[in-house]
Amino acid sequence: MTSAVTVLKLGKCFRRYRTNRPRSIKESIFRGLRGMQPLDTFWALRNIDFEVDRGRILGIIGHNGAGKSTLLRMVGGIGRPDEGCIEVHGRTTGLLDLGAGFHPDLSGRENLYVNGIVAGLTRAEVHERFEAIVEFAELSKAIDSPLRTYSQGMRQRLGFAVATHTDPDVLLIDEMLAVGDQRFNRKCLDRIAQFRDAGCAIILVSHGLVAVRELCDEAIQLRQGEIVDRGPAEDVVLEYEKEGGS
Amino acid sequence: MSNARGGPRIPAPVAQTSPLWRWIYLRDLLLELIVRDMKLRYERSLLGVLWAIVNPLAQLMVFVIVFKHVIRLEIPNYALYVFSGVLVWNWTSEALLQAANAITSNRDLIRQPGFPLALLPIVSLATPLFDLLVALPILVLFVVFGGGEITLHLLALPLVIGLQFLFLQGLGYLVASAQVLFRDTSHLLRVGLMLGFYLTPVFYDVQNVPASFRVLYLLNPMAHLLKAYRSIIIQGELPDLVSLSVLALVSALLFWIGRRVFERASHHFVEEL
Repeated sequence: MTSAVTVLKLGKCFRRYRTNRPRSIKESIFRGLRGMQPLDTFWALRNIDFEVDRGRILGIIGHNGAGKSTLLRMVGGIGRPDEGCIEVHGRTTGLLDLGAGFHPDLSGRENLYVNGIVAGLTRAEVHERFEAIVEFAELSKAIDSPLRTYSQGMRQRLGFAVATHTDPDVLLIDEMLAVGDQRFNRKCLDRIAQFRDAGCAIILVSHGLVAVRELCDEAIQLRQGEIVDRGPAEDVVLEYEKEGGS
Repeated sequence: MSNARGGPRIPAPVAQTSPLWRWIYLRDLLLELIVRDMKLRYERSLLGVLWAIVNPLAQLMVFVIVFKHVIRLEIPNYALYVFSGVLVWNWTSEALLQAANAITSNRDLIRQPGFPLALLPIVSLATPLFDLLVALPILVLFVVFGGGEITLHLLALPLVIGLQFLFLQGLGYLVASAQVLFRDTSHLLRVGLMLGFYLTPVFYDVQNVPASFRVLYLLNPMAHLLKAYRSIIIQGELPDLVSLSVLALVSALLFWIGRRVFERASHHFVEEL
């Protein structure tokens, strides 16, 4: 059986434009089409190869701007590779931007429905899971209040709860482990471990090296868009720390 | 469909990738986004949905005062004529203005894995359609009280609405894609719509136009649409099927072009936002 996620020779090329690249027709007419040409191009990702099997967690570490989030997004189908290919089998859920579609003027309940459907569930499926989601988010009392009355932590909890009730085959997590207080955080980590045990393939981008070491089976380190180290999570993190990474 | 009646939550993973599931999902998503827009538009206002009627009625009043009492245009059933014009035009103009922002104002949705971007411009068209649908019964009441007749031809109305929807979708996809690249698309659009309003017989009749210019109106899709609406509602006749067929063809072509442009542009949306 093939892996849940296969990334082969992936490359993503970004065009860097003049900072004052015309954003309006007026400017582009004034300056001619020269201003539209990219100043130069650079590879945000190059020669990326990896696989993630079902029930495994892959960690991605590296400095800011190393290409971690871009890579994760591309696995989620956001943005198109310029080289190579990405194959993903099954439903993908991202813990990338929690609370997509949230609006402060709608109640927690309404936002839960919108967000759940946006995350890939049908209305009936959200309905079935409604109680479980509210319970997980610990928001039973506040669920009918408008979202603008929620604290930051409450919003994150709701977003996390919705995203993790979508039974994904592939789960993409970007720095989302710092949700809520310490106790809730623990709950999130347990939830992720449950997904792994249920056979979900997980990719985790994090600066929290402890989380990577604790949760991940394998890890890769990115530097300027290329993989510089790979192997068991423990070793990769150790090596990264030795180099003076955070 | 899933036969998950017995168990509390056993959505089989196979079922979720089936075409039927996908279809249900897209329908749910579309409805949810439309309902969300609608709630945000009306829920916290005092008059709520009534604004969909108050707004065109106010426009109607101005036009009736100006063009019936100040400058006399001899158009029979003028109030009805203008009201239908305003309703139909408002749908077009609101829809396109919203479609222009469909991508740029929904960053968070675009960054969601697997989100079907092509739904967003459709949502923008559907919300103002709701306004039209709310006000249509009032229009029909106008006809009844004005001594007009309600005929079976009214059944042709959904067809014309559908045609306008198709026409707007093509344009909607184009403006939504253009707005991502050029932020002044929406300003340009505003100017275009303002001109379009005066170049379309919304509050005057083509008969008021000098004969030599009249041929230009043949090229205006909105003029054809308005004429079709008015023949059905005011004259109680079937619309001109030839002009509607041509319009349907043009709209289908526009839709195809719009979709293609949108597909191509959509790969860059994430980078451009």
